[in-house]
Formats: sequence, structure tokens, C-alpha cells
Amino acid sequence: MTTDTRTKRFLSWIDFRFPLTEVFERHLSKYPAPTNLNIWYLFGFLLIVVLAMQIVTGLWLMMNYTNSAEEAFSSVEYIMRDVEYGWLIRYMHAAGASAFFALIYLHMFRGMMYGSYQKPRELIWLGGWFTYLILMAEGFTGYVLPWGQMSFWAAQVIISLFSSIPVVGEDLATWIRGDYLVSGITLSRLFAFHVVLLPILLIAIVFFHILALHEIGSNNPDGIDVKKHLDEDGVPLDTKPFFPYDISHDIFALGVFLIIFCSVVFFFPTGGGYIIEYVNYEPANPLSTPAHIVPSWYYTPFYAMLRAVDFPLFGLTAKFLGFATMMAAVAIFAVLPWLDRSPVKSIKYKGILSKTFLGIFVVSFFALCYLGMVPPTETKTLLSKIFTLGYFSYFLLMPIYTRIEKCKPVPERVAEA
Amino acid sequence: MKLLVFLAFAFFSGFTISAGEYKCGSIECYEFSPNTKDKESLQRGLSAYMNYCYGCHSLKYSRYKRVAEDLSIPLDIYEQNLIFDDSKIGDLMHISLKESKAIELLGAKPPDLTLEARLRSPEWVYTYLDTFYEDSSRPYGVNNKVYVNVSMPHVLEDVQSELSEEEYDRYIADITNFLTYVSDPSAETRKQLGIYVILFLLIFTAFAYLVYREFKKDLK
Repeated sequence: MTTDTRTKRFLSWIDFRFPLTEVFERHLSKYPAPTNLNIWYLFGFLLIVVLAMQIVTGLWLMMNYTNSAEEAFSSVEYIMRDVEYGWLIRYMHAAGASAFFALIYLHMFRGMMYGSYQKPRELIWLGGWFTYLILMAEGFTGYVLPWGQMSFWAAQVIISLFSSIPVVGEDLATWIRGDYLVSGITLSRLFAFHVVLLPILLIAIVFFHILALHEIGSNNPDGIDVKKHLDEDGVPLDTKPFFPYDISHDIFALGVFLIIFCSVVFFFPTGGGYIIEYVNYEPANPLSTPAHIVPSWYYTPFYAMLRAVDFPLFGLTAKFLGFATMMAAVAIFAVLPWLDRSPVKSIKYKGILSKTFLGIFVVSFFALCYLGMVPPTETKTLLSKIFTLGYFSYFLLMPIYTRIEKCKPVPERVAEA
Repeated sequence: MKLLVFLAFAFFSGFTISAGEYKCGSIECYEFSPNTKDKESLQRGLSAYMNYCYGCHSLKYSRYKRVAEDLSIPLDIYEQNLIFDDSKIGDLMHISLKESKAIELLGAKPPDLTLEARLRSPEWVYTYLDTFYEDSSRPYGVNNKVYVNVSMPHVLEDVQSELSEEEYDRYIADITNFLTYVSDPSAETRKQLGIYVILFLLIFTAFAYLVYREFKKDLK
């Protein structure tokens, strides 16, 4: 018996009991991807790679990290100095967090540009949105673990936001902290969330996201429904199998990504203070507040919105309204599929209004990202207000502008696009 | 669409001109670029640190042995000359000054300096060491331009008065180099390894590109 037939017999033994070949072909080797996918379609694959990397590096960090207020800071320095290649594992994990957010923002923007959230991909979009929420919680809890000054004070600021909720706020914040102020108890519970609860949720939702995607199929830059034209085997004509066509350009993209990522890890591991903040090289000290508390760059657009709302309204405090605005800014992505009333998916075929509002959104997002990083001044707060309106106008006016604008006709086949 | 993205970036980058805050307290930082490759400088910096700073400022995240090995100092020579208490060579660099005693003497606890150069920047450390000046209103008769109203006396006063200005600059540069090294001891290994990693990735990506290009031909 040759090895080839032996493998075949082994596989058929498995397939009789578990649909291994079918699952493998359906989700990987034969998954039909549209032929017109462009560079924006690489980030999903890269996100999976980064997720895997975060899990592996996180596991190894956990082997040497101590989750107590007394030991956390020195255990991180122990990892950096005494653990073999501990510095590499830690820098990869820290830069990995920033890469994760950079990639997920690009991935989300792709969805917004090409209308990938539209029918029938609403659940894929919601799964992705939920992944983003979990990732934000992962980023926050992970940021607290080194127990430096910025860890402590960021936790203090973020958790105290809950205390602004009317009636139940104070009790809620105390319940979250497990103490009257951020303490070792808070640290160890955030650690438990960071390494157990949130990763389990993250993996489960990513699994759901990919399963749903593979059931419906990928959208494409032209928003053409490729399933309308099938070959005799029922495979869409305007697609190509994932293996080898997509995997070959994904691997090439992975190489490019790793060159950038490793340049950061090996040559600029603190990312000029954006990946690891310099203030965090001082152990947490509840008695001394840093002059300038800033969240990580990936939260700053929302932080700018929090600060932009500086006026009370209808008997609600400014702090609560700011907190609510910030939460709404993240939550509103979830209803995007139902805000868009356009008959076409892709921005290429939408009208000038859709293009303008998406442009306003992008400018507002970057501007708020910057405004959230710098100390507030009167002008900057005014700018934050304007850009907060810009950010929300993309969503809230969408039911109107997508209905009244004139769209271009979408071609039937990719070749005609 | 591309134009919009471009405009967004242009807008954003135009925004990032930062406000004019002094990074070094009341003055601009002096120009200084640390050199952690110069082992002789690091050795001189270590010796100065152990003699003038280590009485009060621990390096408690670092180990004697690691410093000795990284700075190419034979362990027995290090043990005989640079360990002042009964610590073992593998121990963390704690000091014997008790916190309560330090507060009694100086009014504040002298901070651990292992990570000082990362927390503040090497320029800050260098400028700090160079800007003590006489101020009779302060308990020790000195003040500092970088850390205004610092509780620390000018411990290098004798050194500064014995050396020429140029020699003193070199002296504090050595200390700063040493503190920069000890704040991130893996930095040199990291950069060396990084070059090989990037070279490997460049070759890998080149081949990955060729494979990609070959399969892309099929689709036309």
C-alpha cells in the first residue's frame, strides 16, 4: 500500500465519523473568494494571525506574571530582564495590542466603504462589532496589568465613569472595582477577565464571525452579488478558490505586515510612548496623580468625545452625558446595517452624499484621535464638539442621505466593473 | 475616495505640531544622545553610580551579575569592588538605606533609578545632572533647573569642582549612558537580533511575492 492510499484510507475513516474533509474544503481550501478583492480584504486574515500571536505571547507572559498589587510591576520587569526572551514576548504582546486595533479599524473601515454590513451580512457585521467591543475590554484590562502609574490612573478614570450614571452609579463603580478605589482586588479581577473570560468570548465570537462569513460569502469592492451567476458545480463564476489563490496573497501580505511589525518590536518597542507609555515605567502610586492622564491611542477618539460634552442637560451631569456619548459612539456601529437605505453596497456606486459623509467620518475620527491625546484647551474642546457632530452625522443622517442621493448602476459581473 | 483618505491624513499630520512645553522642568533639555555600545563609558558610569548614587538610589529590578556580564566585567573583580554589602552576585541591586532613615535625612524617599532613563528620557537625566545651582533658600543650599526644589543635595559637587567643564560633561554622560543601559538592558541584543529577523522576513516576503505573482497569472 502506498502512503497516498494510506492517507486516503485514514481520511475516509475520519470522514465517516466527522466531516473533516468537507469542513476543510468549505472553510479553507475551496472557499470561493470574489476575483475582484483588493488590498482592503487582507486585514481579516492578518487579524487572525495577530489574535493567535496575542494568545501565544499572552500565555507565556502569564507564566511569569504575578497578579498582585505588590508584585505586578516587578514581575513585569522580571519578565523584561530575567526571563529568556521575556522582553521579546512582552514587546510583541504590547505592540500586538496596537496592531490589533490598527488592523480592526482598517477592517471595519473596509466594511463601511463597501457596504459589507448590508443584507444578508448583518450578523457578520454584528459579530465583528462584538469582537471590537471585547477587544476594547481586552485592551483596557491588559493595560492595567503592568500596574504602572498610567495603568492605575487609567483604571481609576475609566471605572469612575460608571459612577456618573444616575442613582446606581456610585454603587456600580464600587462593585466593578471591588473596593472604594482601584486596588489590588481590582487588579486581580481585571487579570482574570483579561486571561480567561474575554479571550474565551473573543475566540467564540471570531469563530461565529468566520462561520457566518463562509456561509454567506465575502462581499467585494463593487458590491456585486457573485452568487447570481454560478457554474455547473454551483460555484459562483466570479470567484476563485481560497487555496492557492487567496492564501498566496495573504502570505505575501503577512510578510509585509511582519516586516512592519518586527521593525516596531525590535527597533521602536515603546512606539514613541504610544505603545508603552513612559509614565508607566513608574510603579502605581495612589497618592500621586500624573499631570496628564491619556488613554492608549486606540481609545482617544472616544476619550475626546467624553471631554467634548462639558455641559449638563435635562438635569443630567456633563460627566454622564459625556460617558453616554462615548458609549453611543461605539454602540452605533451595531445599527449601521439598518441605517443604510441605499440600493447599492459599495461606495463606488453610491452618490456624492454618501462619499462626503464617509469623508467627514474619516476626518472626524482622525481629528478626535488627535484631540483625545493632547491636553484640552478652549479651542480644542470646541473642535472636539464639531468633530463629534461630524462623527455622528455619518450615522444619524445616513437614513436620509442614502435614500435621496442618486446611485450608479451596479454591474452584473465583475468583468464589467 | 483615495483623495478623501489622503486629505484625512494631511489634516491629521498638520494637527500634530505639539504645544511648547518644556520636557526638562524649567528649561529645554540639553542635547544628548546616549551611547550604550561604549562599554568603557558604561563601566565608568557604573563605577560613578556605585560611588555617588547607589548610597540612596537602588537599582532593584536589575541584578549585579547581569550588569557585570553585559559590561564585560569579570565576576570576581565585580564582587570585590562593586558589591558593598553581603549581597550575592546573583542578587537584585537593593540598597541598605532604610526608607524611614532616608525620609529622616532628606525629607523624601530617594526613588529607585532602574527605569529612570525610560521614565524621564536620557536627555532629562543628563540635563538634571548638569543643572544644579546655588540657592541659599534650599536646605542643602542647592536647587535644580530640571527638578525644581528637589530634595536631593548636589552629590557631584566635589567632582564638578575638581574637573574641567568638559571632563564633568563626560562624567555625567557616562552616568547617563549607564542609566540608559540599565533601564533597558536587552536593547543592544534586541537591535542586533532585529537586523537578522528583518533580513529573514525580506527574503521570505520576496519569495512569497513570487509565489503570489505566479498564481495571479492563472486568473487572467
